[in-house]
Formats: sequence, C-alpha cells, structure tokens
Amino acid sequence: MSIKLGSSELAKYPFLQEASDYIHETKFDFEEFDRPEMIHIINRAVEKLENELKGNVYSNLDEYEIEIMTFMVSLLLIKSIGLEEVSKKCSLFEAMRVEKFLSSDLSNERSVEKKKLLVQKIFLELFKINIDVNSTSSICKLSVPDYLQRASKMYEQEWKLINRSVKDGYVYLDTDETVRLIRNELSNLIYSRIKNMKAIEIPVSIKSKADELRNKYSGRYVYKNQFKILEYPPCIKHAMEIINKGENLPHSARFMLATYMLAIGKTEEDVIDIFKNSPDYNEKITRYQVEHLAGKKGSHTKYSVPSCDRLRSEDLCFAIKECENLINPIQFGRRKIR
Amino acid sequence: MNQIQNTGENINFLRNVFRKYYFENNHFPYLYSIEKREFGYRKFDSLVVRHLSFNNVGELVAELVRNVPLDIYYSNAYYGLPSNPINEKQWEGADLIFDIDIKDLDLPCIHEHTYYVCNLCGYVNSERKQCINCNKGKTYDTSIPCKRCFLSIKKEAAKLLDFLYCDLGIKEKFVEIFFSGNAGFHFHINDPSIRNLDSNSRANVTDYILGNGFMCESIGVRKYRNGFVIKLPKSGIMTGWRKKIASNLGINQKSELKLKNIVEASGGYEGFRNELNKMTRNNGVPIDAQVTNDIHRVFRLPGSINGKSGLTKAKCDDLESFNPNNDACMLSDSEVYVNPKTKLKITLKNNTFRLDNALEKVPSYVAAYLICKGLASISNAQ
Repeated sequence: MSIKLGSSELAKYPFLQEASDYIHETKFDFEEFDRPEMIHIINRAVEKLENELKGNVYSNLDEYEIEIMTFMVSLLLIKSIGLEEVSKKCSLFEAMRVEKFLSSDLSNERSVEKKKLLVQKIFLELFKINIDVNSTSSICKLSVPDYLQRASKMYEQEWKLINRSVKDGYVYLDTDETVRLIRNELSNLIYSRIKNMKAIEIPVSIKSKADELRNKYSGRYVYKNQFKILEYPPCIKHAMEIINKGENLPHSARFMLATYMLAIGKTEEDVIDIFKNSPDYNEKITRYQVEHLAGKKGSHTKYSVPSCDRLRSEDLCFAIKECENLINPIQFGRRKIR
Repeated sequence: MNQIQNTGENINFLRNVFRKYYFENNHFPYLYSIEKREFGYRKFDSLVVRHLSFNNVGELVAELVRNVPLDIYYSNAYYGLPSNPINEKQWEGADLIFDIDIKDLDLPCIHEHTYYVCNLCGYVNSERKQCINCNKGKTYDTSIPCKRCFLSIKKEAAKLLDFLYCDLGIKEKFVEIFFSGNAGFHFHINDPSIRNLDSNSRANVTDYILGNGFMCESIGVRKYRNGFVIKLPKSGIMTGWRKKIASNLGINQKSELKLKNIVEASGGYEGFRNELNKMTRNNGVPIDAQVTNDIHRVFRLPGSINGKSGLTKAKCDDLESFNPNNDACMLSDSEVYVNPKTKLKITLKNNTFRLDNALEKVPSYVAAYLICKGLASISNAQ
C-alpha cells in the first residue's frame, strides 16, 4: 500500500508540489480573490503577515483549502508590497512556522512510513538531504558533509561538529535539531518563490491591502543604527602591536586586520597606511589586496571580517572577558550613535 | 623561508641534483586530474610563480627539468580554467587536506637538534639572537628531526586517521598519506562527497580535529543561575568527542550523579570548563588550520623534492614502518665535497654520517640535505 500525504500535511506544508497540484486541479483563477467570499482569506493572510512582521510565528492552523489559499495570498501580498525587508522577514517566519509543524510531526507521528514520506518530500526532494529517521526513537541521522554544509552557516557554538554526536560518517540529531538545520533553506525557498513570481495582474482586493501594509511598514526598516567603535578588540590590538613592532603578520592576520578596518569605516588609504610598517611592505601589492577586500577589484565582493570562531581556529584569537558571547570582532566595543 | 646560502655554487649543485631526480623520476603517480590543477613553484631566488597549468605529466616534467624549481606546489582545488586569475578559475571542488608538523608538537628534544643560522653570513649560532659572527644578521631556526620526533608525529598521524575513519567515516581508499619531505605528514582526502565543502565547513572539520570549541553542554553540564545542572543530551554521549570526553571522565549515559560530583570537584561550571579545555587540547591533533580551511591552497606536490631538506614528499603506505630519512631520501649517491658549518650527526639511507667543521666527502643526498638546511656549503675541492 502506498502512503500519500494527507490534507493535514498540505495545510502545514503548502509550499509542496502537491499543494500546487491542488490549485491546478481546482482550476482556481487569481481574479476570484476579488469575490466577496474570499475576503476572509485575504484578512487571514494579512493577520499572518502582520504577526510575522512583529516577530511572531503564526501558529493557527485551518483546513487545508484555507491554508493553501492563505499561503498563496501571503506571497502575493509580499510581492506586491515590494519591500526587501518584508520579504526576508516573512520568509524566515514562514520557515519557522513550518519548522514547528515538521518537528512535531517527526516526533509524534506513529507511522514510520508517514515519517519517511515527509522526510523524503521535504528533506530529500526539496533540499537533497538524505535523512534516516529512527523508527523507535526521535533521533535522525544524516551524513557529515550534509550536516557541515548547513551547520557551518550557524553561529551558535552548539552547531559545531565537535559538539555533536558523530559516528562512522553520520551526525545524530533529535528531530528539533534536524528540522532547525533546514530553516535557512526553507526560508530561502519561500523567498525565492516570492522573487520568482511572474508579473501577474495582482487582484485589486490584494493590491489595496498591500498598499496599506507598504505605507505602514516602509518607514520601519530604514537602518538607523550607526555605531562608533570605542575600543579595538584584543585580536586586532594584537595584530596592530606586531605590525607596529615591524614584525611580519601571517596572511590570515592581515586579512583579519584589513577587513576589520574596512568594516569599521576606515578608508582604503588608512588601511594601506597601517601595513606600511610591515618588513615586507610593498605598496602596489598592499593596495591591490586592500582594494580587493573592499570589493573594488577582482570579483567585486566585499569581504567580511572573519568570525570569532574562525579566528580561534586560526590561533588569532586573544579573547578577554568582554569578548564573551561575541560572534564577530566587529561587535566588540561599539556604541550606538543616537 | 629559503634557507640556502645564496652562493652560486650551492645553487648550481642543488639544481643539478634536483634536475637529475626529475629527469630520472619522471612520473607522478599520485597526481590526479592534472589538467584541472593550478601549479606553482618557488625558484631558488625565493620568487614564487603561480597560475601555471599542464595538460599531462610530460609537460610538467619538461617544465621541472627546464626550470628546476626549489619547491613545487599544486592546488588541492579542481578548476575549469586553472591558469586564470583566482576569481576566474571556475572552482569545481577541492581535496580535503591536512598538515601536521613536528614544530607544532612542542617536543622537549627539539632544542637538542635545532641550529640557529645567520641569514646574512650563514654562521651557525648556538642561540636565537643576533649573529655573533657578523653582528648584523638575524638567525633562523633549522632542525634535524630525530627518531623521537618522528615517533611523536606518527602518533599524531594515527590519531588523525582515527578521527577520519571512525568519526568522519572517510573510507581508507580516499586517504593518501605522504611524508612532507621535511618534518611532517600530509594527508590528501580525495573523497568526491566532501570535495564541495566550502571553507567554513572545512573550518568546522578543523576544529573537530584540533579539539576547539567543545561545550560543557555537549556532555550534559548546563549553566544554571550561579551553578549548573546535569542534563544529558538526547542524542547520547557515547559517540564522537562526547565519547572521548566521557571515557576520560569515566562516565556513561547513566552516570548523571557521578558527572555532578566531577563538576563539583572541578569547582563548578567554570572550573569544569577549564578541565574540558585541557582534555580536548590533549586529545586533539595539532593540524595546521590554515592549510585545511583553504580551498585554493597550493600544496607541495607528491613526489617532488622539498627545498627545505632535499628529501622527497614520499607516499607512506605503512605509517609505522615508514622511515623518512630512508624512504624519502631519493637523490643521487655520487660523492661531493662539503664544508659543514657545525659538528653534527645524521643518518640518511641507513648510513650514519658524523661531520666536523672540516671538509668532508659525502654522497650528494647528504650534501643536498645539509645545504638545504643551511648547515653546509658545497666545496670545489677535488
């Protein structure tokens, strides 16, 4: 007997192909959103979206027809609002909503086949991750490379491989952790669905709501927080001391120093000046490298300051008490300018 | 650093013995996908040439015989266009590589066989400070690793293999071990399933091997207000690093009370954390993090001569029986005269040489070893 996803799964996971198939089968037309009986769907999508913009996961769960329609309207609203910050935040909170349902399903579902089907539909088909679900416990296993590709993008120390249960090339996680691992991918999937929506005529009823929401939220996302640095972090101080003594810094320390200085707003000329004391200083090479890091040369990618974690593993970290809980040297000693 | 005293005679001698080696050993059996690799080399004047590519081993050997570099490197990465500038090479993946070196082991014997050579006059000093001979030059270290050094580094190599095979699940067929040609071992992992790992993912592996960042929470000790609570992780403590720590502490999945007592005896959460840090440092392997994390590294070519010693980066099929000073010593036996700069004893190709500060006739492989280390000069005496 083949197991299929039921209506409750379509309600929780409306981004799956099966949900799109449902829309196709019903031959639903976007214009139908302008019909009066659809207003509750639109209102529900607005409620959900506003919840997400306030930083909450929308936990209400309705019938699958309602959920699929709400999901579709949410995407249309976000697309129509056209604010990047709204798209990103809603994608993230939609992913967290899915995460909540999926984690519960993988822990509580009694049918192993059903669990495996969910894992196949979401982990394997959408994100190409092979997850093995244990039939008797809530422990999942996945290969070390699959784990690393995702966990290495997380800042929290607990996601480092060393803090995981690892054996014979597999990482063992409980269901919450397994699902958390794909949050970014889920968020990116929803974000790309919004971005890739074809230019369609947005129904008037949705467009007018979108206009209201745009007016309401557009001012809230102007980046106001400017910082000034009161003190350099110890890793940067240490590198500066070595340079000032006229000693050679390893390549990785030069990378750290230059990206840090650029990140706190120093000009390229300022940064080049810092390296003038190096015994092997060559202005042409230094200029090229600093401009490269600033994104003015080569790939035009502006390089970020390496994380504290990275600096620790490269022996460039000289942490003091004030460094506790920082994930990047850039966070050290800064104060908001009001 | 290029340690060779920059005299024409020394360089000519080395170029001749290196050229002979590349001419006679014109194959590189451990070089895969040559057309996708970037090559680079260091010349005898220390200049580095990069962004070279070769379609086959014949082209590579022709270049080596023609230009005779001091050191030869190739990329761990596979590129669509390996000779293009770095951003236009079309990266297609990279082997995972590890480098362990005797200098990172802090061995007590190291001072017994380390020499401090002046970078200007070449004089061998007994201490690391300004040269007492010319009063101008600074000294650099050069070392002749002893048996104890190699025994210690092999132990670290075995620990690394245990991490790779038992924890990371890498199959033996994908792991190649090489003696670096000087004072360490290189591990090349060409497993296609890990070729696409980015630098951050590799840094995560690096920290796993080094033992960096293990949290008390991973073994079940959680900070709680001013104290701590014990809550063992659902995924257990009997695998990976958790198992290593658990066995060091003598606990298992059912030892919550024992663990509580251990933490209290260590002085609480902070004290226990310090104990854990010591434990992970002792159980980790001191690999070079920058080598492993780099996905565009040019790394010493297997089968090539290491310019710091004149020994070859040789394949090591059996770590235990491998004798670097014998199995990696592949230069010519023809005899030449050298002027050693200090009194020393070395064993190469199973022959022991005791040298004084006087003119000596030695095989070319001994002369090359000493000149590369900065401890002798070639002599024109007949």
